[in-house]
Amino acid sequence: MDKYMITKLSDYKWKVERDTSIGMNVPGIIYSDKKLLEHTIKEGAIDQIANVAALPGIIKASFAMPDIHFGYGFPIGGVAAFDPEADGIISPGGVGFDISCGVRAMRSSLEIDDIKNRIEDMMSFISFSIPRGLGGKGKIDLSKKDMDRLLSGGAGWAADRGYGHKEEIEYMEEGGHMEGADPAYISETARKRGARQLGTLGSGNHFLEIQVVDKIYDRAASDIFGIYENQIIVMIHSGSRGLGHQVCSDYIKVMQKASEKYGIKVPDRQLACAPIYSPEGKRYYGAMACAANYGMANRQCLAHWVSGAMERYFKTSSERLGLSTIYDISHNIARLEEHDIDGIPKKVCVHRKGATRAYGPGRPELPPAYRHIGQPVIIPGDMGTYSYILLGTETAMKESFGSVCHGAGRMMSRSKAKKMISGSELKKNLKTEKGIIVIADSMSGLAEEAPEAYKDINSIVEISCMAGLSKKVVRLRPMGVIKG
Amino acid sequence: MKSTGFEEIEHPSDIRIKFNGKTMEELFENAGLGMFSMITDLSRVKAVKKIKISLSIESSSPEDLLVIWLEKLLYYFEVEDMILSRFNIKKITFDNNGARLSAEISGEKTGDNKHNIINMIKAPTYHLLSIRENKKKHLWEGKIIFDV
Repeated sequence: MDKYMITKLSDYKWKVERDTSIGMNVPGIIYSDKKLLEHTIKEGAIDQIANVAALPGIIKASFAMPDIHFGYGFPIGGVAAFDPEADGIISPGGVGFDISCGVRAMRSSLEIDDIKNRIEDMMSFISFSIPRGLGGKGKIDLSKKDMDRLLSGGAGWAADRGYGHKEEIEYMEEGGHMEGADPAYISETARKRGARQLGTLGSGNHFLEIQVVDKIYDRAASDIFGIYENQIIVMIHSGSRGLGHQVCSDYIKVMQKASEKYGIKVPDRQLACAPIYSPEGKRYYGAMACAANYGMANRQCLAHWVSGAMERYFKTSSERLGLSTIYDISHNIARLEEHDIDGIPKKVCVHRKGATRAYGPGRPELPPAYRHIGQPVIIPGDMGTYSYILLGTETAMKESFGSVCHGAGRMMSRSKAKKMISGSELKKNLKTEKGIIVIADSMSGLAEEAPEAYKDINSIVEISCMAGLSKKVVRLRPMGVIKG
Repeated sequence: MKSTGFEEIEHPSDIRIKFNGKTMEELFENAGLGMFSMITDLSRVKAVKKIKISLSIESSSPEDLLVIWLEKLLYYFEVEDMILSRFNIKKITFDNNGARLSAEISGEKTGDNKHNIINMIKAPTYHLLSIRENKKKHLWEGKIIFDV
């Protein structure tokens, strides 16, 4: 690893020294422990961190969260902010194909004793209400007018149509809809891909889990979030489906032309970009915001389906079941946000690709009930492992533009996982050894998502907290999983 | 490379294939076959429904045309509910006006859990995308990564 000089700043923070000979404008900062750092180096992700550091208008550093792994253009687990007034860029590669892939956590008044003897039956019942899986179609057919309103209105549109409650929207990032969305910038192909997929889970690592609160680390915060021991939590991990994927594909092409036009040399085509306030930059932002609104509406609809299923299963209302949103986050997004840059508040474009916003106390963007303690950060574990709810911190605000990890990155290729692991054996073992019920249509898809294929989520969370970017609030243990 | 004209290569998080062809047309056919083989087992798919495709782009780069071709095939899968198993490219041309492709593709409709879908591909990517002529072997060779 002689190409880069890496300096240890602390046990959990490392600096890739700025090297102007390879075009780096800022250093790289990696939040990691020594062991994970070695893996990151071996994987070649440092090249990607350095490539991002070379992009125009980048401020402070090219950040890598503890779950960093090799991606397209930007690494996954990458965070970078750009100054629009210094020719700062926006790049679809810094967001990812699944725009607003994210997670919603919902509290309930159910406790473990209410479900532990019927979890298999309950999961099977719920699964019939959740459109999912590979190429799965949803229950909602969108007209062109509906689509335009959804792309502008996001989760608020969905709530107005009766999918879930309007009061929940407050507990989503950006109040459930991203400003600046312009449906005119969404292609016909993207619309067609999204038309039948609203309210569907999707595949790969997307899931719906029924979890139990396993451990409380910060009682003051968990009280404010309405979480307590043995409580049943519903967690939904999904994104903007085919519409978002197509927006990314469409705008990579736009940005490739734009990079040439603006004389921006990029070492990787997936880093194609344009100045934020250029016509191309504005168009991508407008389209990305639409896709984010789709993603947030998607999770709103999925929450509605699972609430309805649980109402029918328990033969009572969702109000009596106490089902309500704790928070909803996106971990693939770029946003114009105000941050302190050398003591001056400034609007910058923060790209988080496989990274989560982790705002500290006092931010006006947070719901009033949470503002004084900070943002809940929902970190989904991979299948069969813990998930966490963390708290954003002042340190995150000072150091990483209020950002932290998003989950556990992959360690093992999909093809290797399928060769080494049997999906049906995995399903059986999760049930017999951990009491976790898994509902999945594709056994090879299940094998790809085996816990061994991912880094250890507990280490990722531990490093994030030891680095000061977040604080643990609760740990959640899965009881039932519906896989896309 | 296997006799199918494509093969999966190890990738840490997504799906990567290499593919070849004696001509550019065969190369593109094998890329389509490779992509759909990652989606499902094509041995059970009957080529009953035929579709004619014409594509035209401003760029004269084979890589750019390849991505557009594969995106179009994915569109038929996701929006038109087609599993495609046969790819017959009539002609690919490159000149100063750009690139053009005409083809006939065929397959069958998905539905009623008829096909066991192995991977849901989100998109073909430009990352490490390459098309090269191997003059020694008289073959065109390509590599592409699909985001899943």
